[in-house]
Amino acid sequence: MDALHGLPTHEKLKQAFRLEAGTVQRYLYFARIADIEGFPDVAQTFRNLAESGICNAQGNLDFLKRVGDPDTDLPIGETDLNLTAAISATILEQTESYPLMAKVAKEEGLLDIANWFETMTRTKKVHEQKLKKALAQLAAVRQEEPK
Amino acid sequence: MSTASTPPAAREETEETPSPARPRTDRYDASSITVLSGLEAVRQNPGMYIGSTDLAGLHHLVYELVDNAIDESQAGYCQRISVTLWADGSCAVEDDGRGIPVDLHPLEGRPACEVVLTKLHAGGKFKRQSYQYTAGLHGVGLSCLNALSEWLVLEVWRDGFHYRQPYAAGQVAGELAKIGPSDRRGTRITFRPDPRIFGAGLALSAPTLVSRLRELSFLNPGLHIRLLDQGSGEEREFQYDSGIAGFLRHLNQDAKVLHPQPLALRLAQPGVDIEVVMQWTAGYGENILSYVNSINTVHGGTHLSGLKNALTRTVNRYASEIGILKAENGEHISTFDILEGLTAVLSVRMETPSFEGQTKTRVTNPELKTMIDEGVSGALLAALRADSRLAAQVVARALDASRARLAARRASERIRIQSVDTRVSKEVYQRQFGIRSQNWHQSAVWIANHALLAEHVQHLPSGHYPRMLDVCCGSGVVGASFKGRVGTTFGLDLTPEMIALARTRLDHLSQGTVYQLPFRDNTFDLVVNREVLHLLPNPERPVDEIFRVLKPGGLFIVGQILPFGPEDAAWMYRVFKKKQPLIFNMFQEDDFRELLLGAGLVDLTMSEYRLWESIDVWIDTHETTNLHRHEIRELFYQAPQEVREVHPFEILPTGEIRDLWRWCVFSARKP
Ligand SMILES: Nc1ncnc2c1ncn2[C@@H]1O[C@H](COP(=O)(O)OP(=O)(O)O)[C@@H](O)[C@H]1O
Ligand SMILES: [Mg+2]
Repeated sequence: MDALHGLPTHEKLKQAFRLEAGTVQRYLYFARIADIEGFPDVAQTFRNLAESGICNAQGNLDFLKRVGDPDTDLPIGETDLNLTAAISATILEQTESYPLMAKVAKEEGLLDIANWFETMTRTKKVHEQKLKKALAQLAAVRQEEPK
Repeated sequence: MSTASTPPAAREETEETPSPARPRTDRYDASSITVLSGLEAVRQNPGMYIGSTDLAGLHHLVYELVDNAIDESQAGYCQRISVTLWADGSCAVEDDGRGIPVDLHPLEGRPACEVVLTKLHAGGKFKRQSYQYTAGLHGVGLSCLNALSEWLVLEVWRDGFHYRQPYAAGQVAGELAKIGPSDRRGTRITFRPDPRIFGAGLALSAPTLVSRLRELSFLNPGLHIRLLDQGSGEEREFQYDSGIAGFLRHLNQDAKVLHPQPLALRLAQPGVDIEVVMQWTAGYGENILSYVNSINTVHGGTHLSGLKNALTRTVNRYASEIGILKAENGEHISTFDILEGLTAVLSVRMETPSFEGQTKTRVTNPELKTMIDEGVSGALLAALRADSRLAAQVVARALDASRARLAARRASERIRIQSVDTRVSKEVYQRQFGIRSQNWHQSAVWIANHALLAEHVQHLPSGHYPRMLDVCCGSGVVGASFKGRVGTTFGLDLTPEMIALARTRLDHLSQGTVYQLPFRDNTFDLVVNREVLHLLPNPERPVDEIFRVLKPGGLFIVGQILPFGPEDAAWMYRVFKKKQPLIFNMFQEDDFRELLLGAGLVDLTMSEYRLWESIDVWIDTHETTNLHRHEIRELFYQAPQEVREVHPFEILPTGEIRDLWRWCVFSARKP
């Protein structure tokens, strides 16, 4: 186990990863609006910064890779590990995260948002299947490799 | 985990003798480096040159030829262009320009026309001597077209002779021949798109060409363009002297315009000539067409952002000048609100346009932005100051749009709070459906499409149906389509506007909510409904109500647009929610089945229909804000691969989006 594991800095890296990943998405969203409003220069600034954001987010993953997937804490690094972690994450999302979100939204009477979360649950099921298929194909390729 | 993989280096060591089964040709040395001649490269990767090999790409071939003739006309040498579609799928484009030069090219030692047809990057537009303003530039149009044609015949009339040369798949298939003397001048190229590239099923279509040819004739006043479809025998001619002002009138022919006289202005600088015409309508869509040297810049660019900037700045400035807007309090009319309902044509002619990408859909010259921004701001401000009536209309229109946008937002906020007790407020629906558009239902083809309605009726087994209820009947078209098969037709809707419309179609109308139907138990033999349940919070409640008012054995027939699968559901959710903020559910097929079965209905059947519809029409309603319209288009342009795999839609060369609806009609019976 890497020394980083479980330290407060480990938590901070996860937090930094989420911050940067979130920044990328927000900037891309803002860029589109700037484009529509007719401010291509602003849009370009947002896009350029989003590009840096991708680099920054992945910089956190460079460290996190030593201790595990920020979402599932499962080991990541090589493709079969990454697929396995991604599959667990989709399962977690469809069985816990999104159903809980949908429940909260429903309780608050925000039924359109609840339906949006439910839609996500279904999407994640499909993603789980696709990732599992990729993992099976990877295993099959490995089988064929000369010993 | 990682042990399953062997590093490639280790693997090679164990493989001492190459397997004899493996041919030696997999050596990787100089012989493995393929040098494709220019034209083979085009055939291998046509998309890079013409955008795609679908219908859009196919028509692009014709546009390359037409663009060349237009360039000839912009240079002042061509008055007539004629396009002929032949029944065998070939097409001829002819002009009365100077004719492609036929004399020997000094470096290539071949006739110049053969060089431009067989060599990439050969042309007369690199230097600005023969042409000043051009659509072409890179000298790839003709050679690509030739490479992608099964056969092609070039004819040139010039210097007293008629010349002819055949080609096959881009290769010379015979020497350039003098057919005989002639005093004509011009070029004709006849070609048949290669079915190996475009697929045998695709064909050039006259209606697709019409809109581009019409647009070109508006952009080039005086030019005569003819389109002849030998298949149907139909002939169209286009010649307009009215220029883009006429184009604007054509675009607005069915629209209710806010001011009779369009705003028109012209800006000129050495090497750049800009014309703009603008007119606001009472519609909701924004229709701004922009061109550079007659190329339709579908994705805009610096010229368009200059125009938008100028409009925003000037309308805001004028509105605060006359005291309608308190700019010092931070009041501001947004670009969206100003562009709402605007129809405009912006045509730029310039010597050195620079474009992004091969298909030239976005122009990037920075000087255009400043020139247009400043020029349009000045002229527009002067026009507004000079004509206070016009100014009042333009400003009021924009303020109206901004208020409607706020109202729409507030409406969706209100309904959230009220949805706790699952009641839909009547005012909210009225605000959404009632105020500004009496015929919102016309924006959606699936509501009024007769073929589809007929299919809907097909679900009704023959029998005796004394009473039918169209629930949330809107204008009543759905219920009315069952007339003749049922006895008395009842309709129910929340808003008086819709009820007034439905009165012409149904026998009895009631105003009320579907959460509490104003009818006794076991009243109806048939209840019909279309595309409403997704708008209702807690849809199981209205379905329970429908169950209640059905007679035992009575039938519920309900149509609903559904996503193709979970893959496109989230994307469709976003598209629909932007189209209409009141959406509450994006049902998937099994959700919808469960909804019906959950109420106790039985004998559930479903049929599926597919229906193409233009998104632009679908979103042209006041419930869709201008920003949302743009965002919906973006969602299509940028649709994820996962969505594209299951959900068919097409983006036409004009940027228009056509979507395929999956329209599902369910029928179920009360036991
Ligand atoms: N209809 C025409 N009349 C006269 N010259 C033409 C015509 N079409 C093409 N040409 C000549 O052939 C050249 C090559 O055309 P093309 O391959 O379409 O490239 P581009 O239009 O980008 O220059 C043009 O630059 C022009 O010199
Ligand atoms: Mg050309």
